[in-house]
Amino acid sequence: MRSDVARVKPPFTTSKKGIAINLGPDERGLLRTLIGEVRELLTTAPVGDPKLARLFPPAYFDNDEAETEYQRLMRDELVASRLDSIATVDAFLGDDKLKIVTFAQLDAFCAALNSVRLVLGTLLNVGEIDDYLDEDDPRHDELALYNFLSWLLDSAISALMQNPVA
Amino acid sequence: MNTSTNRDNEGVNTAGVTLVAAAPATIERPEVEESISLEHPWVVLVWNDPINLMSYVTFVFQKLFGYSLEKATELMLDVHEKGKAVVSSGSKEKSEMDVYRLHEHGLWATMQQDAV
Repeated sequence: MRSDVARVKPPFTTSKKGIAINLGPDERGLLRTLIGEVRELLTTAPVGDPKLARLFPPAYFDNDEAETEYQRLMRDELVASRLDSIATVDAFLGDDKLKIVTFAQLDAFCAALNSVRLVLGTLLNVGEIDDYLDEDDPRHDELALYNFLSWLLDSAISALMQNPVA
Repeated sequence: MNTSTNRDNEGVNTAGVTLVAAAPATIERPEVEESISLEHPWVVLVWNDPINLMSYVTFVFQKLFGYSLEKATELMLDVHEKGKAVVSSGSKEKSEMDVYRLHEHGLWATMQQDAV
C-alpha cells in the first residue's frame, strides 16, 4: 500500500469534467474488500453485536419504550440504506474505466467508507489522539489502515464540498 | 449547559424563509394560554465521538439541514468542544426523522423533549 499512498495526486480531484477518482487497482480492491466485510456483518451479525454498535446508536437515552419502537421501525431501514450505499460503491470501484464520479456516487462512497471506519474504529477502540501512530502500539497496523481511510474520506468530503449538488 | 437553541433563527434565515407576524385580525383577545399548552418541541442532539471526522460532520450538517458552511462549522465545533450540540428541533415525528438521517450517516444523535 505504501507506494500507492505516497503520491502527489489526492484520491479525489475536481476538474471541469467533474470529480475525478484517482484510485489505483490496489486501493479499489482493498476498499471493495472492506465494504464487503461490512456488508457481511450487516446481513449476518446478530442484533446487538458490539461490532455494529456505532452503526445503530440509540435515539433515546431515557425512554425504553420509545427506543424499542424506534429500533423496530428504523433498524431495517438503516441496514437497507447502508447496503444500498455499499452496492453503489462496489459497482463503481469495480469499473476500472470509470474516471469521473457523480455527486451521488461520491456521497455513497462517503457513507460506505464511514461505515467501515465506524466498525474498525469501534474494534480498535480509537480515541481522538490516535492520529499519531505509536510503533509500540499493538494496534499499529490497523490504525495505519484506519488513518488511511480517514485520509481518503477527507479527500472525498473536500471534493463534495467544492461541488455542491447541481 | 449550551445555548445552541439560540441559533435557531439563523437556520431560518439560511433557508430563505421570512418570518412575518400574521395580524390576528379576527382574534379579539390574545390566546396566549393556548399556544403555551401545545406540546413542547423536541430537540435533536449530536454528541461528540472520536471516530467521525470534523469535515464529515460539517458536511452532513450542511447536507441534511441546508445550513450554511459557517453555521454547520459552528455546530460541528460545538459538538467537538462542548461534547454536544442541538442541531434541529420540532415535532416528535420530524425529530425522529432527523435522528434517523443522522444515524444513517453514522453520527451519534439522540432526541429529547424540552430544554436541554
